[in-house]
Amino acid sequence: MSLPLLTLIVLLPLAAALLLCLLPARAARRVALLAMAVVLLLTTWLLFSFDPGGPRFQFVDRQPWLPGLGIHWSLAVDGLSVLFLPATALLFLGVLAVSWQSAEDAPRLFHGLLLALQSATLGIFCAVDLILFFVFWELSLVPVYFLLARRGVTVDAPQVAARYVLIMLAGGLPLLLAFIMLGSQAGSFELNVLLEQPPAIETQRVVLVLLLFSFAFKVPLVPLHTWLPQFALAAPGTLTALLLGLKVGGFALVRLAIPLAPDAAQEWHWLLAGLGTVTLLYGAVGILAHSNLRVGLAYASICHVGLATLGLSTLSAQGVQGAVSLLLSFSVATGGALLLIECLRLRTGSTDVQALGGVAKTMPLLAAGVLICGLAGVGMPGTSSFPGEFLLILAALDRYTGAGMAALFGLAIAAGAFLALYRKAFYGPASRPAVLAAGDLVWREWLVLIALVAMIVGIGIYPAPWLDIVRPAAEAWAAAIAA
Amino acid sequence: MTGEIFWYQQTALPLLAFVQLLPLLGAAVVLALGERRLAVLAGKLFAAAELLLVGFAASRIDAALGFQLAERIDLVGYHVAIDGIAVMFLLLTALLTLLMTLYGMSRGMISPGRLFAVLLLAEAGLVGMLLTLNIAWFAFFSALELWAVVYLLRRWASSRAETQALARFVQYQGFGLALFVAGCFVLGWGHAEVSGGRWSFDLFDLTGTLPAGKFQTAAFYLLFYGLAVRTPLFPLHGWLPNMAQHGLIAVAPALMVGVKVGVFGMARFVLPLTPDAVLDWQPYVVGFAMAGVFFTAALAFLQTNLRRLLAFAVVSHTSLLITGLFSLHAAGIQGAMLLAANFGLAVTGMWFIVGFVFRRTGTTELGELSGLFERIPFLAIAFLIFGLAIVGMPGTPGFDAAHLVLEASIARFGALPTVATALGNVAAAGFLLWGFQKAFLSQEKSGTHDVDRTRPIEYAVCGIAVAALLAIGFFTEPWLQLTDAASQAVAGSFVR
Repeated sequence: MSLPLLTLIVLLPLAAALLLCLLPARAARRVALLAMAVVLLLTTWLLFSFDPGGPRFQFVDRQPWLPGLGIHWSLAVDGLSVLFLPATALLFLGVLAVSWQSAEDAPRLFHGLLLALQSATLGIFCAVDLILFFVFWELSLVPVYFLLARRGVTVDAPQVAARYVLIMLAGGLPLLLAFIMLGSQAGSFELNVLLEQPPAIETQRVVLVLLLFSFAFKVPLVPLHTWLPQFALAAPGTLTALLLGLKVGGFALVRLAIPLAPDAAQEWHWLLAGLGTVTLLYGAVGILAHSNLRVGLAYASICHVGLATLGLSTLSAQGVQGAVSLLLSFSVATGGALLLIECLRLRTGSTDVQALGGVAKTMPLLAAGVLICGLAGVGMPGTSSFPGEFLLILAALDRYTGAGMAALFGLAIAAGAFLALYRKAFYGPASRPAVLAAGDLVWREWLVLIALVAMIVGIGIYPAPWLDIVRPAAEAWAAAIAA
Repeated sequence: MTGEIFWYQQTALPLLAFVQLLPLLGAAVVLALGERRLAVLAGKLFAAAELLLVGFAASRIDAALGFQLAERIDLVGYHVAIDGIAVMFLLLTALLTLLMTLYGMSRGMISPGRLFAVLLLAEAGLVGMLLTLNIAWFAFFSALELWAVVYLLRRWASSRAETQALARFVQYQGFGLALFVAGCFVLGWGHAEVSGGRWSFDLFDLTGTLPAGKFQTAAFYLLFYGLAVRTPLFPLHGWLPNMAQHGLIAVAPALMVGVKVGVFGMARFVLPLTPDAVLDWQPYVVGFAMAGVFFTAALAFLQTNLRRLLAFAVVSHTSLLITGLFSLHAAGIQGAMLLAANFGLAVTGMWFIVGFVFRRTGTTELGELSGLFERIPFLAIAFLIFGLAIVGMPGTPGFDAAHLVLEASIARFGALPTVATALGNVAAAGFLLWGFQKAFLSQEKSGTHDVDRTRPIEYAVCGIAVAALLAIGFFTEPWLQLTDAASQAVAGSFVR
């Protein structure tokens, strides 16, 4: 590949962010829109030129960066990661559309941070050098910190932002240690080198524990999830949508934690399964306990990643294929629901069901949108989540029947709890003045809604092409672990 | 220690002599100009010229070869040369001095001309310490620089509590210097005993005649604690918080901890000259350093003043430097040196911003500052970038350096102590973020909205520092190459 397409995709938003500093403030959102649209086009092109049957890593772009330390600027995509790129591009466009009017003060800073976050996120999905991955992983904290501390919706948002950054910095340490251990033994930080020659089983055990511990913060897995509900409450829905919609933690489990320590993962698959099941059940019960839609969705997200982790722990092609498609589907469903709920918050000033009620009367379109996203969230057949969820449940029932049954039970609770929240917020008499005065979606938000529904229903009805992209990579993944 | 390459083999001029004489000449010229306006301008020009000269000297050396551009006059023990590590610190010294002159420290001060003269004198002291290969000359330049700082603190006091801070400073530094000089004597004496009464303090001579047994231990202790006061290493840091809080804002602390000559001196003299004692005492030194990371982080959380907070940040990260250095592993030493330069630049930048804030608000009490982000966003973001550099965020030189230190630390001390030390660094991130939020992001109290906007010179000073940090952070390779051979040489004494 002569054109460094991935480098272009990763660095374009960052370049746009720097450009914003030089331009007048009123141009900021248009420049951001242009940059994000170009990224969407490029990632779509990438998706269509990706050959699922070809070599594992494609569009390889490898330059020496710090040869003294053996670190490369090394980007590539495979069947597991390629779909995450357009999903990221779409979600950021959605965030931009929803917050189009709400960044009146300091628009350059806001849009610059958003673009920087996009660069870091795309980098996480593309990096195939461990240290480069770590660089993007940590860099994503800075924009999140500022976006939350400056634009949080509660008074204690700066404190929540600082806590988030500190927790993630602490979580980053074991990650760096594991990478240094792997790199110093193999003499390279390149993913494909490390995948081909896994280290000794003792090292693998340490690496797996370190990586699991680190990613468990980000995913998040119970009991390291405590930052998320606070975060969801303090952050605007758009930021939570980016954080929860883009499941970098789950992706990192698929991409790194298990393949880098395959034998240890086989030995300790029960640990993963247990963590996944507990997380799933805890998330499901958590939805029941909260009256705020944003926090409810945060718990729904915890529930989903629990299911994905349970599926992964089967270490089967079916499990990983299901996990990847579920994570992708939730970036549309959870991300979309949070975006729509942010539209609701901007109108009524709250997302607590106590302060709502009867929203469907004044904002029918918004209500319909949230319902569709929510149904996708609970894995309704005919929505994009169904194929992934089905594969996962099958894989789980096959390997661990008890945990699979528990997962089914947890999903039923989650669905019921979500519908209960939905009913309280959107039906019943509309009595609150804020709800009565609110208008329905405007055309920008309409576009977001249409795109969401088209994807949820479209993929739900005809999932084959998407699954076909993931399947060869998933089979290779499972074969490498079984070997 | 291998040989050296003399200047006439590499250049037409004895560059290092010029590098040392230029700040002295500058100090003399500025002093002679008295309190004319021209004096301040001349001070800035000399600082800029020194940076260019150092840059030129740096371009003439090949980092893969040991000591270069050497100059020797045996009669007075004058012996200078540079290696990759010294080049990096020299560039840092010249850059920081230039930024200090631009920082506008003379604004509103009495006799600005003399202030610039003293600053250039302090630079001359620092440059001398970095260049010399003679431990007695090192002690002399150290005394010169300390005298300059004491003079700064005495003459340009910013508050009444200054006297107490100054007294504490003189006591600590005087004691540290005395220890260091005593250490020099032990080494020189050892040389005289072996070589038939000929005294020498030259690094090359001394490496040939290392003192044995308890004499080496004594020399190690005297030199190490002499420099530890200077660095400052926990628990010998008592002078710094008071000086930071009451002393001349920004400039005095920047001169003392911006260029980490203490750590540099340990790598240059202590490790090669007392290798057996270093190996013996390594566990204790590292143990103290690791404990110090946490102790000082805990103290930092208790501070109510931004200036004291920064002082504890310095003490906390110094412990990390010592951990890297005393891993006695080439990667660890290289990491510690890079980290020292990174910390120096970042902390000085933070101190400048504290100075800018003080000019606007007249206070650095965290309880009285609020909502500054709305008025001076650029300075706020710069402050955060400096803070992130200190905690080793990727994209700053701190990341690659910390990576090296961690790698060495895992190899030498195992995973658990390494994780503990690194967690101390997260604690540092905690208190820096906490201070940042208090001062810049908290809800605006009344009276902050008349704070002045950022001025062009403030953009320039912080912009240069931020640009330098990010540029080095993303293109660390040349700096790794620069310091590689020199770090290997230092670690060479400890190959087991």
